[in-house]
Amino acid sequence: MRKSVKRFSARIPLRLFESQPDERRKDPVMTRESDTSPFPYPLRWRIMDGLESALDAVWPRSMSRYSGWALVAPALLLVGILVLGLANIAESSLHTLDRSTFLPSEDYTLANYQTVADSATYWRVMWRSLLGAALTVVFTLLLALPYSYVMVRTPSAAIRKALLVALFLPFFIGQVVRAYGILIVLGTSGAVNDVLGFVGIGPFRLLFNFPAVVFGLVQYMLPFAVLMLAPALTAIPREIETAATSLGANWIRTFWHVVIPMARPGLVGAGLVVGTLSLTDFAMPAMLGGGSQDFIANAIYDQFFRTADQGLGAALALLLVALGSILVGIAIALFGAGTLGMGGKR
Amino acid sequence: MNESSSAGATRARVPEPETTAVRVRDVTMDFGSGVPAVDRASFDLEAGKFLTILGPSGSGKTTLLRMIAGFQKPTSGDITINGKPVDADPPHRRSIGMVFQKLALFPHMTAAENVAFPLKMRRFDPRTIPDRVKGFLDLVKLVGYGDRRMHELSGGQQQRVAIARALVFEPELLLLDEPLAALDRKLREEMQLEFRRIQHELGVTTINVTHDQREALVVSDRIIVMDGGRIQQHARPIDLYRQPHNSFVAGFLGVSTFIPGEAAEGGLTVGALQLSGTHSSRIAAGEPARGAIRAEQIRIGPTPDSLARCDTKLAGTILDVIFEGERLLYVVEADALPGIAFHIYHHDPESFDLYQIGAPAAIGWNAQDMKIFNAAV
Ligand SMILES: Nc1ncnc2c1ncn2[C@@H]1O[C@H](COP(=O)(O)OP(=O)(O)OP(=O)(O)O)[C@@H](O)[C@H]1O
Ligand SMILES: [Mg+2]
Repeated sequence: MRKSVKRFSARIPLRLFESQPDERRKDPVMTRESDTSPFPYPLRWRIMDGLESALDAVWPRSMSRYSGWALVAPALLLVGILVLGLANIAESSLHTLDRSTFLPSEDYTLANYQTVADSATYWRVMWRSLLGAALTVVFTLLLALPYSYVMVRTPSAAIRKALLVALFLPFFIGQVVRAYGILIVLGTSGAVNDVLGFVGIGPFRLLFNFPAVVFGLVQYMLPFAVLMLAPALTAIPREIETAATSLGANWIRTFWHVVIPMARPGLVGAGLVVGTLSLTDFAMPAMLGGGSQDFIANAIYDQFFRTADQGLGAALALLLVALGSILVGIAIALFGAGTLGMGGKR
Repeated sequence: MNESSSAGATRARVPEPETTAVRVRDVTMDFGSGVPAVDRASFDLEAGKFLTILGPSGSGKTTLLRMIAGFQKPTSGDITINGKPVDADPPHRRSIGMVFQKLALFPHMTAAENVAFPLKMRRFDPRTIPDRVKGFLDLVKLVGYGDRRMHELSGGQQQRVAIARALVFEPELLLLDEPLAALDRKLREEMQLEFRRIQHELGVTTINVTHDQREALVVSDRIIVMDGGRIQQHARPIDLYRQPHNSFVAGFLGVSTFIPGEAAEGGLTVGALQLSGTHSSRIAAGEPARGAIRAEQIRIGPTPDSLARCDTKLAGTILDVIFEGERLLYVVEADALPGIAFHIYHHDPESFDLYQIGAPAAIGWNAQDMKIFNAAV
């Protein structure tokens, strides 16, 4: 052999020797770790290491088969307590109030359900709750969809932040204070009637009617809906919309044919949350309805705390639970659990 | 037989041979980072031709394509398509079909619905839509897959849906942004030939973006090589390969060995050594230059005397022998040019055991194959 051989180990052809790293490069092992280490071990990893070894101590590896159960145990406990309460309510709904002693009757009876079924007032309350919830869902989604779309798609960080702040501010105020705000703004001598008076019309009675309650509910529900829609819209690649445009769809048709169908899981989820929260709402009908626009929750409250007829209140409460469950059941049957992002078949 | 009328009919169907479909003039795109993403790009593309924009990552290919599609407005310069400025119409009225890098298919629609979408949006006669969709699914060989959703199709099949969707409304221009990048090599090569077939069948003017030199050479009528936002060369594939304008193009296509030196009359001076070659760019004698020689143009033999028909011959040592399947790659260092690793292709893998690493060998080439470029470019 004539001379020492430089062996090329790389499969990729090296064009020139000059592109080879030179031998003067420092050996990484030789340099002190503290100052020149190219990869500082992240603090978060250290914390995870600590937590993992702590977990190994309390929950040995051999128990890992039961880890799943251990993780859902707190939730199961919570649901269990709820079921217990429900059973309790169901039990008390089967006793009528004895008006002479003001004690629940001894024997079991369906009389409370009969009372509800026979009462035109309760039918009206139930119908009003359902209609109010449905209208709230429709209006909230109509407002939330463009709002979250702009929030997700705007190129301007300032606009996005402004929209987010406007969304979260009402969250910190709380429902009752917000309802008071609406009372003030929409009152006979409120800001809206002031402006209308300026133009020379009014004053109008804007409060204590059904539209006022729906208005309050929509106002209350909007942030929930926007927060549920935003991730669904973020999941739609911007390029898909560009593609739709290049294929001949203007923005309205892109929205209708592409954005809305692809955001369906978010829309269904937001609709369910808004619907069930509105159906069971208490504060808005109580404050903005002024006693004339009771929802089911208000009727239940009256029975428990005004007339102290626990049995009738419990019967109404169970009916509300049944109504809500049926509606959610229908929605899931129609759209499938998968559309809620729960990985169902479709 | 009525010859004059049939000849007239034929002529009417054949497009004018020399019409310019896409005209790009001094187009610059500056995102404000100081270095423009596209720097004064100009080119013309004839109707019905297949152009590939080839370049390394970050060279401005996508930016140029998006400007041609009208999705992005250039900082300066003009783009016209069939004589009209791109932004004359709103995006959804332009007649441009685009296949996106990530395909951008509609997951909530079936393959057939995806293909029908542009027809519906462009208000084609609803009675003709089903036949048309079927025809184009046929063209991309997806008969029987029409009612599948996107997640029920393989990568290559999704690819075809995207192509059918971009072509079905007969756009004036088809734009492809590295649509094959995600596919495995075998499927990619299959799809490249597919592209070629479909493009020939429909005759649609096409601009394709890629950083795969093989794809560019296989499918294109014309290639534009870009680097650092600038067009380095615009030529037919064969000319690009044979006559690169600068050492970037020479190095980007194929495998070449570069020899730094000084330009000399009819060649290159490297220290005491004189190598004859062909000047590919204008350089005065004595200026720094780089000679480039392609791996398949270097011969290898046991001794310099064994190399017939070579006018430059050098003795050296085998540094490495790499088996690449259909060919061997030898890495050789010449005694007269220490520090330069010559890359040599040998198209007879049977000779794998002919040369041992460390064994003496000779290399040689012809002066016309040694291209000499300005070292500054
Ligand atoms: N929206 C943008 N804002 C700022 N800089 C951008 C933007 N888009 C692209 N660039 C820059 O412009 C240059 C060219 O980008 P471009 O996407 O055109 O490269 P490319 O040739 O398509 O690369 P690749 O092969 O990796 O896709 C890059 O340096 C990139 O960082
Ligand atoms: Mg790109």
